[in-house]
Formats: sequence, structure tokens, C-alpha cells
Amino acid sequence: MRYFIRGLFWITVYLGMALFPCLVLLSGNMPPGYGYLWDFSLALGYGAASMMAIMFFLTARFKRPALPFGVDVIYYFHKYIALLLFVIVAAHPAILLATEPVVREMLKPAQINRYMVAGVVSFLLLTLIVVSSLWRKQLNIPYDTWRLIHALLAIAAFILALIHIEGAGYYINTPAKRLIWPLIMVCWLLIQLYVRLIRPLRLLSTPYRVKEVIKEADEVYTLVVEPRHHEIPAYKPGQFAWLTMFYSPFSMKEHPFSFSSNPEQKDELRFTIKELGDFTKRIKDAVPDQTVYIDAPYGAFTIDRHPSERGYVFIAGGIGIAPLRSMLRALADRKDQRPHILFFAGKSLEKMAFYEELKALPDQLNLKVVFLPQHPPANWSGETGYLNREILARHLPTHLPELNYFICGPAPLMDMAEKELHAMGVPLQNLHSELFDFV
Amino acid sequence: MREMLAKTLAVLTAVMIIFLAAAFALIQNG
Repeated sequence: MRYFIRGLFWITVYLGMALFPCLVLLSGNMPPGYGYLWDFSLALGYGAASMMAIMFFLTARFKRPALPFGVDVIYYFHKYIALLLFVIVAAHPAILLATEPVVREMLKPAQINRYMVAGVVSFLLLTLIVVSSLWRKQLNIPYDTWRLIHALLAIAAFILALIHIEGAGYYINTPAKRLIWPLIMVCWLLIQLYVRLIRPLRLLSTPYRVKEVIKEADEVYTLVVEPRHHEIPAYKPGQFAWLTMFYSPFSMKEHPFSFSSNPEQKDELRFTIKELGDFTKRIKDAVPDQTVYIDAPYGAFTIDRHPSERGYVFIAGGIGIAPLRSMLRALADRKDQRPHILFFAGKSLEKMAFYEELKALPDQLNLKVVFLPQHPPANWSGETGYLNREILARHLPTHLPELNYFICGPAPLMDMAEKELHAMGVPLQNLHSELFDFV
Repeated sequence: MREMLAKTLAVLTAVMIIFLAAAFALIQNG
């Protein structure tokens, strides 16, 4: 309930910020209208500009606003609201071009002025942002390069949009209305200052060193780091961190990874990482004493937020085991007595991280482990293949609606597990998952 | 489910912006 109220508060704040310029437009003395579609288009443009400003607030990773939802939901929201913003931005000139001959004249090369150029270029940059984000992988743009381009394009598009608004000058005839956009600009600059300067400086002052790199399974490595002369941040089992390695914190080359370590252990942090891209393929090349920067903790995917009297069920696919391992180690360390179940699916035992450790974990914890290798060894007598409703029903107790479920893995596995468990009677509020492909 | 939450919030925000823009144009032009 506490998180629900906080969530509602931050949604209200967000909507307030998004709608503020439109509300100011509606206030005070207003000149006569220029025509319904003209004014509608203008108001859409203003709304879109304020949404652009808030976009930076969303991705600034402020911990308090993100806490009720989890950063993954915020990033997904950023993605969807950006697509809707693009539609609204496109509607602004489309309506004017379709209905106002004067605008078509203004856009002719011989007559176009600076603020109209700013508007057109801003729209083109937004188009580039959408295309490069939706089809980054198909366009073969490395993540780090994309992130830098994304930020630069977004900054340029926003500044050009403000130049366009200021130049066009409609409905900014009173001091209060003139003040809105400079005020938004100042807020935006403060966010930039925090993200690009203050936070990197803070990370620079709390460096970590690589202790070791452990091979856990085929293409899966655990990076163990320890702080250099400072304490590790308190985190909950299942949360994640942004990791900067091989570069300075000012480089913006940071990547999110779940903690796989036990948060009760206060002298080191562990991240278990699968080789999936350019950065993750370099994890094994990390050498002892190498410096690493960690921005943490983030995420709402943790058992500590969802007390469950009768125990937890964990469902992992592949590298999705990392945050669940953190939760299981924490439960073992806390001498938890409740009965828990772990379903762990993977391609083969050789590719499933922590196989031996998890097999032995029932000695320390009231835990039933169900391994599901798709390609099991010849002498395998356990479950095999993909997780499905029959396998879940075979191992779950009859009071399954009373349990809390933590699901992490590839999207098809998460979708299947959520759908089937809900169909089996588990309330949606007891199903918890992590969208770990949000970047 | 979490993705659906994000989608719903995004659509809600966009609808409110469009609604306010329509209201503004209506008030301005009677």
C-alpha cells in the first residue's frame, strides 16, 4: 500500500509536469483564437515540448520516483511515451500543413525563417531517435554508440524545439507565459548537470576494484568486485546496478546488471553476466585490481518488498537466475524456514550457471529445486524441455494462490509463466517479474 | 504485466495531452 500511494503521488507529479505548460496556456488573458485546428495544433506542439523536457527526467534515474515502479517500468514507459510523443509532434505540422496555406508558404525554401528551420530539424532529429531506437539491432549500432547518439540527438531536438516555440511566439504574450519555457529550460539544465556531472563525480569518488572473475557456465561469468576504502551500498536481494568498466563514469558507457550476490555479505558485490554483446563479451577480460564504477541500487524486483508467509516460488530461465540466486542466498543466510521452490530452465546443464551450488542449496534452505535442461545428459531422470503448466502443477503445492512468484528469464518464459500461473488461480499481485531487456 | 503498466500510463498521459489541447482550441474559438 505504501508503494501504491507513492506510485500514485509520482504519477500525479509526472502528469502535472507534462500538463503544466498546457494549463498555463489556458490561464490569464488570451488573445482571440486563430481557428480551431490552428490552436489545436499549437497546443499539441506545446504539450509535446513539455513531454520532451520530462523525458530527460524519466531517464535521469532518480531513485525516489522510480522506487514504487522499478526502473524497468520507467524505461518501458519512456519508450512508449516517446512513440506517442512522436505521433503528437508529427500531428502538429501535419494539421497545419493540411489546413493552413500560410504554413505551406512559410516552409518554402525561399521564405523559411530560422525558427521554422529549428522546428523542422527538431522533428527530423526526433525521427532519427525513433528509428535508431526501434531498429538499433537491425542497424547494427553498438549499444554504447547508440546511447551517446540518443542523448545528443535528444538534447539537440529539445533545444531546437524551444527555439521554434520562442521564435513562433504564439500564446506567450504575458510575462507568466513567457516564463514557462525558460523555466523548463533551467530545470532541464539542472537535470543535465546532475546526470552528466554530479553523478559521475560521485561515482568517481566511490570506486570499486575487481577481485576476481569466475566462470560459472558456458559463456557465463561472475564479476566479483570490492569497494576501495568505502562501504558498499545497502541493497535488496534481486535489485540491480549500473556498471561502468573499462571507461570513466563520464563516458556514459554503463550497463545494468542484477546483483547475484548475497546482500548480507557487506564486503563484496557479485554480478553474473552472460556473453550476449560487445560489452558482456569483455567481462572475462577484466583483471584483478581493475577499477569499476557502480551506481546502485535500483529495481523493485525483490522478495523484501513482498512478504510471503508460506514461501516463495522462483522461476528462472538462463541468465535470469542471477537475481534469483541473490534472493536464495539471502534467504539461506537469514536461516529462513519457509518452504520455497525454484524452477530453473536452461539449454543444458553446462550452460546453467550455479548448477552445482543450487543442487546443494537444499542442505541450507527449505528449498525444492526443479532443473529443466532442454538437452539433458544421458542419465538424467528429472524434468526436461520447456516449462509448462503440467510441470508447474506437478511441483506446486495446492495452496499456490497464496505464494509469491518471482520470474526472470527470456520473454517467452516469463509470458508463459505469468499466463499459466494466473490461469491456475494465482492473483496478479503475487506475480513479480523483471524486464531486463529494457535498454 | 509490468510492460502493460508502462503502456497504460503512457497512453493515459498522451490522451490527457490531446484532451487538453482540444479543450484549449475549443475555449479559444468558442
